[in-house]
Amino acid sequence: MTILTLGEAPIEIAEGQTVLAALLAAGVDAPYSCQAGVCQTCLHQAIEGAVPETAQIGLSDAQKAQGYFMACVCVPKEPLKIIRAGDLHDRIDVCVAAIDRISHNVIRLRLEPDQRFAYRPGQFLALTAPGGVTRNYSIASHPDVDAFIELHVRVIPGGQMSGLIAEKLARGDRLQVSNPTGMCFYEGADPERPIVLAGAGTGLAPLWGIVRDALQQQHRGPIRLYHGARERTGLYLVEELQALADRHESFSYRPCVLNDSESGANDLATAVVAAETDPTNTDFFLCGGADLIGRLKRDLYLKGAKLQRLRTDIFLPAA
Amino acid sequence: MSTLYERLGGAPAVDAAVDIFYRRVLADGRIARFFDTVDMERQAAKQKAFLTMVFGGPNSYTGKDMREGHKHLVARGLNDSHVDAVLENLSTTLRQLGVDEKDVQEVAALANSARDDVLNR
Repeated sequence: MTILTLGEAPIEIAEGQTVLAALLAAGVDAPYSCQAGVCQTCLHQAIEGAVPETAQIGLSDAQKAQGYFMACVCVPKEPLKIIRAGDLHDRIDVCVAAIDRISHNVIRLRLEPDQRFAYRPGQFLALTAPGGVTRNYSIASHPDVDAFIELHVRVIPGGQMSGLIAEKLARGDRLQVSNPTGMCFYEGADPERPIVLAGAGTGLAPLWGIVRDALQQQHRGPIRLYHGARERTGLYLVEELQALADRHESFSYRPCVLNDSESGANDLATAVVAAETDPTNTDFFLCGGADLIGRLKRDLYLKGAKLQRLRTDIFLPAA
Repeated sequence: MSTLYERLGGAPAVDAAVDIFYRRVLADGRIARFFDTVDMERQAAKQKAFLTMVFGGPNSYTGKDMREGHKHLVARGLNDSHVDAVLENLSTTLRQLGVDEKDVQEVAALANSARDDVLNR
């Protein structure tokens, strides 16, 4: 009886055999080194079925939540479907379900996957257009709430991918996405303590998913979301966020506009650091460009935030 | 007789010291520019390895590691004054944790022994 599946391939595994031994016996070129559950070279991810806790010793909470485990010390007790960790070469076909401009420079893209697509709100994926252009986008949807995968695409003048999405892409068109990746998500946050989310521009996308995930998971501490934009027109999802704040007393929405003629300059990093006076027990989720997020993370750390509670998702420009 | 590492409190003491020490060096205008703020987790792990070594604890840090790890910083102007600043922050950290002055001096001496490797001389 085969109870182990690698991707779509059944792998024979004997009673008491480790996943790594079974993979190697089946001729799979699986990476490994220490064979003692330490070095993490043989890291795999269970996408269906649970792995024994002993195969996850030393991994982060975020990794455990995603089913990562060390194949060399994993003797499965139940049927497992696994993939190699970080295997982003696999592509899943998706169909454009909706495409809408939600602000002057942000397009909301909703995609329907052809097959089951498991992710945590706040993770990101690589989107590949016909012709092969590939870019990373954060996921703004919630797998339990939304039937689609939602991405927020910033329209960059001269941008290859965003130009294609803005000008050519239409409902019904087909694209491909990678498996989700990234560790910036709600799991592991303390449900009794505050969580603070700060993002600039389309850095709001993962935060929109994480906020709804926190509320869904009955987070009891306060939740504060700061959204930074250069101009007032750069703010988006304003009504949705305001409505969420009206519905949930624990949630507050704090837009920060850098060049604002009405209220004066309000820099995101400065605003967050000034307002979060006691960051020691707060879980942070910071998303945006490297300079801004580097500065914010450093300043919050210096103010007492704990390194393992500072989750970041840094947006890097396409090379 | 207990070892320095045991007297200081072992691994939990190293964690407590890293938490204070890393914040101090990042906030120190004389040396902050030598510390990367993008991959802070990796940097904190290096601090932990360094402090384990200077506490006399089990470590696999070698002079070669210290040379390789700081070469690019020496090229950017890392010199004795910066090492002095790091050692000063280390001693302040230990005093803040209530470590005996004699042990503070012993740790400082161990840390100072890495100076030539760090500065690639």
